[in-house]
Amino acid sequence: MPLTLPTADLDIIDNKKQIVKDLATITKNIIHSDEEIKPYETDGLSVYRQKPIAVVLPETTEQVSKILKYCYEHKIKVVPRGAGTGLSGGSIPLADCILMGMGKFNKILETDFDNRCVVTQPCVANLAITQAVQHNGFYYAPDPSSQLACSIGGNVAENSGGVHSLKYGTTTNNLMGVEMVLMDGTVLKLGGKHLDSEGYDMLGLVTGSEGLLGVVTEVTVRILKKPESVRAVLIGFNTIEDSGNCVADIIAKGIVPAGMEIMDKPLIIATDNYAKAGYPRNVEALLIVELDGTSSEVDTLIDRVLDIAKINQASYNRASNSDEERLKFWKGRKAAFTACGVLAPDYICMDGSIPRNKLANVLSYINKLSEKYKLNVANCFHAGDGNLHPLIMFDSNDPVEMKKAEDFGADILKYCVKVGGVLSGEHGIGVEKRELMCEMFNDNDIKQQLKIKNAFDDKNLLNPGKVFPILHRCAEGGRMHVHKSEDKFPHLPRF
Amino acid sequence: MSETFYARNEEEVSDFIFDHYNNNNPVELIGSGSKKIGRLIQSSKNLSLKTMSGILEYFPEELYIKVLPGTSLDEIESTLKEKNQFFGFEPNNLGFLYQGKSDPGTIGGVVSCNLSGPGRFKNGALRDHVLGFKAVNGSGAKIKSGGTVVKNVTGYDLSKIISGSFGTLCALTEINLKVSPLPDFEETFLIKNLNYHEALKVFQKSLESSLEISGACYFSKQSVSFLTLNDVNKDTSVLGLRIQGPKTSVAERIQSLSKMFKEMLVSVLDTYQTAIFWREIKNFEGFAGSEDFICKVSLPITNMPIFLKHFENLKFQYFLDWGGNVAWCKIENKQDLNQMRMFCLKHDGYLTVMRSNDNFRKSEEFLTNSNLNLKILSKKLKESFDPKGILNPNKMYSGI
Repeated sequence: MPLTLPTADLDIIDNKKQIVKDLATITKNIIHSDEEIKPYETDGLSVYRQKPIAVVLPETTEQVSKILKYCYEHKIKVVPRGAGTGLSGGSIPLADCILMGMGKFNKILETDFDNRCVVTQPCVANLAITQAVQHNGFYYAPDPSSQLACSIGGNVAENSGGVHSLKYGTTTNNLMGVEMVLMDGTVLKLGGKHLDSEGYDMLGLVTGSEGLLGVVTEVTVRILKKPESVRAVLIGFNTIEDSGNCVADIIAKGIVPAGMEIMDKPLIIATDNYAKAGYPRNVEALLIVELDGTSSEVDTLIDRVLDIAKINQASYNRASNSDEERLKFWKGRKAAFTACGVLAPDYICMDGSIPRNKLANVLSYINKLSEKYKLNVANCFHAGDGNLHPLIMFDSNDPVEMKKAEDFGADILKYCVKVGGVLSGEHGIGVEKRELMCEMFNDNDIKQQLKIKNAFDDKNLLNPGKVFPILHRCAEGGRMHVHKSEDKFPHLPRF
Repeated sequence: MSETFYARNEEEVSDFIFDHYNNNNPVELIGSGSKKIGRLIQSSKNLSLKTMSGILEYFPEELYIKVLPGTSLDEIESTLKEKNQFFGFEPNNLGFLYQGKSDPGTIGGVVSCNLSGPGRFKNGALRDHVLGFKAVNGSGAKIKSGGTVVKNVTGYDLSKIISGSFGTLCALTEINLKVSPLPDFEETFLIKNLNYHEALKVFQKSLESSLEISGACYFSKQSVSFLTLNDVNKDTSVLGLRIQGPKTSVAERIQSLSKMFKEMLVSVLDTYQTAIFWREIKNFEGFAGSEDFICKVSLPITNMPIFLKHFENLKFQYFLDWGGNVAWCKIENKQDLNQMRMFCLKHDGYLTVMRSNDNFRKSEEFLTNSNLNLKILSKKLKESFDPKGILNPNKMYSGI
């Protein structure tokens, strides 16, 4: 699949030998042979591949600063990379770039229970933060499905969320500070162990900026005490509309669950076949609601949720009575992506956010598109926060079908925007949805964002070709592509 | 007196700013003019957004409200209350600081100052609740960012950068804010007669528990008179912990606190008293009518006792909020203020002057201006929105 990236500067490529020599004076960790570079040529969006000139793996902030300053002075593009699990191609290299792998920044620097925060290097895995503090009953709230492997620095770049973001927010709501290096080598400290910062909220701007504004070298996140009690309830419905209405009612009645997930029938069957989660197979939609808090609070809320479900014609319900049972409820949902691999040789996973009350409307539109394109689709939905993940099935050996799947995906995202939603809830724009940005933004909006980019990186050298449209048309897309269930990270649950 | 233009819609805001951009004329953006915060600025023209008022969309089950910038905070909060909802960031009503009486001002002003009340440490700051906006930048271009959904990684998150930007980047013309369900029930657990060391230990212990405390404040013996509630004894210090949620859960958690602090002098404020207690704190009602400097001291919790110890011989009053993350201070003279500011800088924090006299506002910085590189970047960021520096110039920093 061709991917258009900014025009490569051939002089830079020709000068590889000298560049490598110069960078080797800053760090000994430099990789430049074709063979060794190969693992770095793509990220979680593995359909696109491109080798950089060289990969540097700095070990200190000072080295990051010196490398960036050198590249700034010599007009060399730099693409930063964390764990490389991103699904929108945000760390795919360019032919004339230096790829800056942050893998050596892999230590937790401080667990500070008194200030309820953790100071860490950026390439520590999300889950490792929780593991470092759980002996005292604390955890780090944002829980993207790839939390076993994705880095906290990457989470900052993508403003990662997770199943629990309705109640606990995404990365931006749990981030207290970063140390970052600008493209010209300037080192900045934003935020810290205090709450809020004075002046412009640079920390908020940098979060979710997809590695375009600076390279994060240190991260401070707040940690929370684990809730006393967590329970989940499975609710089945005969129509998708009823499940959507039930979600809206739960929120309208003043309940904010820790998580709320919906799966449609094709996905219920596929996940139940795969994970033996014990889901009801005769329902059109399955809702999982998780509640946390004190024991009596959770019990009260479970009763209220079940009452609301009844009013919305629920045909099935089951509340968990043990943690094992609760985890079993999640087992199927968490295996959704893998389970879909059985249904077709390939699938692409979309990631749009919509207002909750448009769920039934959008799902029915997706079903119409499925008929139009003659491609099967299964849907899972972070119903609590309106984040939709349709999984479009196709066979990549058939170029016509592959094109149809891409068009299908683009049509879904355009419709998400049309009903008041956005192009990406949690995977980011990267190269994947770059050309769809004009569905949401006009020239003025994009120009304003580009001017901000220019304020941070006046030569446009840091991760160019990502986020903003470069083709000036609105139909190219790639999405997360999985061939024959060969997810690049098969050990990671995807939800 | 500067001349004021009252814009009625986005088009008029755009035309007005575009004209001033072409003529290099600075403009002061104002709402209802209720907040005398920030540096005093010189401009011959004011652009008032007060007349752009009204709620455009409110979907309680979608947890968002879309409003025009001149809508009064009062109107919005009453509308939310009708549907049992509220702003989780509990915006302060700064009228008490500047006029000695309630004047919550407009939502545009609240967003521009990033005002967050007692629940900030649990529910997040105002900036965490802005989902999207429309605005006109300094060259008159209409721009937008974000949306109405909570999960959104589509382009830079400009909602954060406009929150607390004091109208120096753009004129807001539409704001989408996240709203939250009101808790069923609330009570406040009070502990009396603690010194600040003991108070901070209580914060530590209670906030490290799973009790989901949503307010944590402390008034020393010298400042307890700020509270007017009859049920609060004015002879000793008072520490308050707010518990919210379903009634049975609140009762259980209050019980847990009683066990946790059984050796101390404790009592409980009921729901009615709780609402008054936290309203007074949120709105700084105890500071009403003061001519002194009112400052926000923000530090890591562990540095707060060091701060209080360091300045215990200075003549100033304070109360702690946000579980000890912030001290709201009433300071008599500038020298003391500067000393405190220097201390904050050295201890990973800052001091913001919330209220001061006009002389101070003309010549001094109201923000702690620490890092040169950050200031350079702030200037570039300002220029990216406002290339000729015509929107509220020098309001945040001199020269920006």
